[in-house]
Amino acid sequence: MDGSLGLLLNAVVSGLLLGGFYAAVSIGVAISFGMLDIVNIAHPAFILLGSYVAYLANTLLGIDPLLTAVIALPAFYLLGMAVYQVYYLSFERRQDQSLRGLSFFFGLLFIAEVTLVLIFGVDYRLVQAPYIGPSLHLGWLELPLRLLVPFLVSMLMVVGLQLFLTRSFTGRAIEAVAQDPLALRLMAADPTRIKRVAFGLSFATAAIAGAILIIIQPVEPSIGREYIGRIFAICVLGGLGSFSGMVIAAVTLGVVESLTATFFGPSWAPAVSFGVLLVTLAVRPSGILGR
Amino acid sequence: MASSLTVSNVDAGYGAVRVLEDVSLTVEAGETVALLGTNGNGKSTLMKSIMGIVRPSAGRITATIDGASHELVGRSTEEIVDLGIAFVPEGRRLFPKQTVTENLLLGAYRPKARSAIARNLDFCFETFPRLKERARQLAGSMSGGEQQMLALARALMSSPRVLLIDEPSVGLAPLLVSRTIDKIKELKEGFDLTVLMAEQNFTQAVRIADRGYVIVHGRIAFAGESAEALNNNELIREFYLGA
Repeated sequence: MDGSLGLLLNAVVSGLLLGGFYAAVSIGVAISFGMLDIVNIAHPAFILLGSYVAYLANTLLGIDPLLTAVIALPAFYLLGMAVYQVYYLSFERRQDQSLRGLSFFFGLLFIAEVTLVLIFGVDYRLVQAPYIGPSLHLGWLELPLRLLVPFLVSMLMVVGLQLFLTRSFTGRAIEAVAQDPLALRLMAADPTRIKRVAFGLSFATAAIAGAILIIIQPVEPSIGREYIGRIFAICVLGGLGSFSGMVIAAVTLGVVESLTATFFGPSWAPAVSFGVLLVTLAVRPSGILGR
Repeated sequence: MASSLTVSNVDAGYGAVRVLEDVSLTVEAGETVALLGTNGNGKSTLMKSIMGIVRPSAGRITATIDGASHELVGRSTEEIVDLGIAFVPEGRRLFPKQTVTENLLLGAYRPKARSAIARNLDFCFETFPRLKERARQLAGSMSGGEQQMLALARALMSSPRVLLIDEPSVGLAPLLVSRTIDKIKELKEGFDLTVLMAEQNFTQAVRIADRGYVIVHGRIAFAGESAEALNNNELIREFYLGA
C-alpha cells in the first residue's frame, strides 16, 4: 500500500479511537451541563481522581484499572450526590446558581487538584495492564490496544447510559428536569432527587473516564485542565442534551485532531478543532443533534 | 370507589398579599365543578393551594381518593399528585424539548400509573388522534390547541382519580375552546374522574359543569347548585354577561 494513504487511514482510525476517549471524558458534562444546566467545570478534576484511584489499586494491589473503576463506581456516585446536595443547598435553592455556582465549581476544581498534588505530588504516574503496549495488526492497519480497549469501554458506557435515560422513568425525568422543574413535580417526581441521581451518575462516569485516561497516557494532577475546553466544546458541538450528538462531536474532533497532528503537527490540533466548533455553531447554533 | 375534594375556610396568598379569604368548596365524587371568575380573582391561587404549590395560611383541604381520606395542606406537590390528583396548569407547562410520546411517558411517572401505561396511552391516542400523528414531534413545536390536548393527555397518563384544570380555554381560538371542553367531558366519562375546572369562559364551562362557584376578589360570591342556577344568577349577569 502507498505510504501516505496508509498514514492517512491510520490517522483516521486513531482519531476514531481518540474520539471514543473524548466521549468518555465528556459524557459526565453532557449530563451535568447538557441536561441539568449545571456548569460543572470541576469534572476533569474528578476524572483525575478516578485516574489516581486506578493508579493506587494498580500499584499497591495489582488490580486492573478498568476493574477498579467498576468497583469505585458506587463511591463516585455517592460523591456526586453529595456535591450536588451542597450545590443545591448553597446556591440552587436560593436561585443563586449561575455565577456563584460557577465559582463553586471553580473552587472545587482547585481543591481537588491541590489535594491530588499534596497526596501524589506532581510527577507523572502510570498503570500496568496487559493491553497497554501490544497492538492489533490488521494488514496495514495498526490498532494499539491501549486505545482500542478504552474505546470499547467508552462506547459501552455511552450506550448503557443512553438506554437508561430513554427507557427508564428516572432517566426520562432527568432529560426533562431542567426544562420545567414545577411541571416535573406535577408528574409526581421530586426534581431535586432527580437532579441528585443525575449528578451522581455524572460523577460515576468520571471513575471510568479516569481509568481510561491513565490507560491512554501518564497523568499528573493538573492535566485535567487541558480537557476542560475540549469537553465543553464537544458538548456544545454535539448539541446539549444529546448523547448521540456528543459522540459524533467527540469522534469528529478526535479524527480532525489526529489528522492535523499527523500532517501539520500536534500544535495545530486545538486551533483546528475549535475552528470546527465555530463553523458548526455558525451553521447550526443548537449543535449537531441539539433540539 | 368514590373520590372527592373538600376545601374548608382556606386563606392563602403570596407574602403579605392575601388572595384567598375564607374559601370553601366541595367537589363530590363524579362531579364536574366549574370555578368561575375573571382574571385576578384567585382561581389559579386556589388551584395552586390544592396542589401544594401555594401554602394556605389557614384552613383545610381534604381529598378522598378511592374512599381513603387525605389532608393535603403541608404535603409537597409531588406527594399530592402521587395520591391520584392530576393538575393541568395554566400555560400547560409541557416539556417543550421532549417529544409528544416522551411527555406522555413522563405523565406516567407516578408508580401506580406505570402498570397501566399501555392502556392509558391507547386511550389518549384514541381520544386525541392528532397526538398519535405527532407522536415523535417536539411538544414545543406544536400549535396551542395541540399543546392543550397533550397537557390533558399527559395528566391522564398518571391514572388520576381527581383532575384539576386551570383555564383550559386560554389562548385558544373559539372553535378549539368548545372542542377542548367537549374533550374534557369525554375524558371525565372515560376515566370516571372527579373534575374541578377553573375557567373564565362562562358559557363554555357551564356546558359541561354539574354546578359551579363564582369567585370574586378571593371570596366565593355565589355557589350555583346547577348549571341553570348559574345561568340565571344576578352576579354572573353583572360580572360576565354585562347585562
